[in-house]
Amino acid sequence: MPERITLYSAKICPFAQRVEIALAEAKAQFTRYEIDLQNKPEWYAPKVNPASKVPAIAYGGPDVPPDQPSPESVKLAESLVLVEFVADLFPESGILPSDPVTRAKARFFIEGVSSKLIPAWYAYFLRNAPVEDFYSALEYIQSLLPSDGFAVGQFSIADIAIAPFIARTRVSLLNELGKYPEGNGKKVWETATTGKFARIGKYAEDLFARDSFKSTFDEAYVTQAFKQRFANLRNQ
Amino acid sequence: MAEHKRITLYAAVDSPFVHRVRLALEEAKATYDIIWIDLLNKPEWYQEKVNPTGKIPVLVYGGPKLHADEEPSPEAERLTESLVILEFLVDIFPEARLLPTDPVSRARARLFYETVETVTLQPFFRFIFLDAPAETVLSALETLQAMLPPSGFVVGDWSIADAAFVAILIRLEVYLKNGLGAYRPEVGKEALEAFESPRFARLRTYLEDNKARPSMAKAFEEDAVKTKMQQRVERFRKTGIVNGFFRLPLPSTE
Repeated sequence: MPERITLYSAKICPFAQRVEIALAEAKAQFTRYEIDLQNKPEWYAPKVNPASKVPAIAYGGPDVPPDQPSPESVKLAESLVLVEFVADLFPESGILPSDPVTRAKARFFIEGVSSKLIPAWYAYFLRNAPVEDFYSALEYIQSLLPSDGFAVGQFSIADIAIAPFIARTRVSLLNELGKYPEGNGKKVWETATTGKFARIGKYAEDLFARDSFKSTFDEAYVTQAFKQRFANLRNQ
Repeated sequence: MAEHKRITLYAAVDSPFVHRVRLALEEAKATYDIIWIDLLNKPEWYQEKVNPTGKIPVLVYGGPKLHADEEPSPEAERLTESLVILEFLVDIFPEARLLPTDPVSRARARLFYETVETVTLQPFFRFIFLDAPAETVLSALETLQAMLPPSGFVVGDWSIADAAFVAILIRLEVYLKNGLGAYRPEVGKEALEAFESPRFARLRTYLEDNKARPSMAKAFEEDAVKTKMQQRVERFRKTGIVNGFFRLPLPSTE
């Protein structure tokens, strides 16, 4: 029986949503505490995560309010480590494939997301790096997908790792948020999800249709928060 | 006792990423074949038949016995990325306990090896080849040292977290002790002094604990590593090539 779980999270943050999806897939009982990333509480770094980031989990220990974390709980961080942690606590969730080779494929997919897709997206979004680099990364991810279904067939940690990023890429592009010239956003999303990228388009739809994604993604909130945070990127 | 499929490892003596995998294979007392690749003289067949990216390690799981210049069979699985391979070995050798069974310890081990990746690799590479200050590596080592328990391995018993780190750490020690690298001699000497100072007492004990394990004796050939590194540094000085993926323009001699 897993011990008490408190998740420190932020609705805007894709890394945090990974852990929320995993917990939802596990139908886990846990306490969620929203951290305002623009105005972090002064107890957060010293008592929960010295890196001051979300997500973080306080595991076990006495029943305390989340804003008064106990030194007795174990503090864990890093979204991918936390997703594997949830998978270990809740093996019946099924998010970790049972076959070792399939698991390795899921982890390899995640490595591609971390080392190729996410940096390429941020380079385009934050610095207007050549969009071709983003498309190359997308092509690589697409090449790993089977002809249908999720990244390794059944829904897994691989899909959990990527879904929050694709969702926020979509919000950014459709709202023309980013350093790239205004007007390019919608075109890039169209290119990234149709024609030669039709498989990605279908995969994105499948991810967004998953209950655990829907219940952990507040599109209106993220859109508003992104507009507030990134509206001035182009002017800088 | 679980039946395992054939394991073939494409390896090179000088690669820390290969070393990580060999440590875990030895700790699991696995039976495996090695096909050696000379990274400084990579055969064309490797990229054509085994790994289009040219990178090692590749672990082939299943299929018939392989030799150099052969393509792994289509029903064999080809695994790449050292950390992915380490987790795979945890899964296929559960009795070897390459990770602890309790979720919190596993999370701590994973957090440790993620930290190894994000804080040591770039500084290590840049210090050895690109004149980055030694302090960038030393402070990364300090971060990891602080995550070690007062004694023993990262999560008490040996785990893949140790494999991930010690492959880098032992090379740093060998390189510094032998002046191997493109850094200036005085920079190397200062770095070695720092490494041997009280600041890193815990880390040195940790390294010795790892060296004492039979897996290290089987998976680390110090002379071969030194020789290869010497050749690599010489090649770098002549051509600016660090590895297949990174090449510097040579500074002007004017």
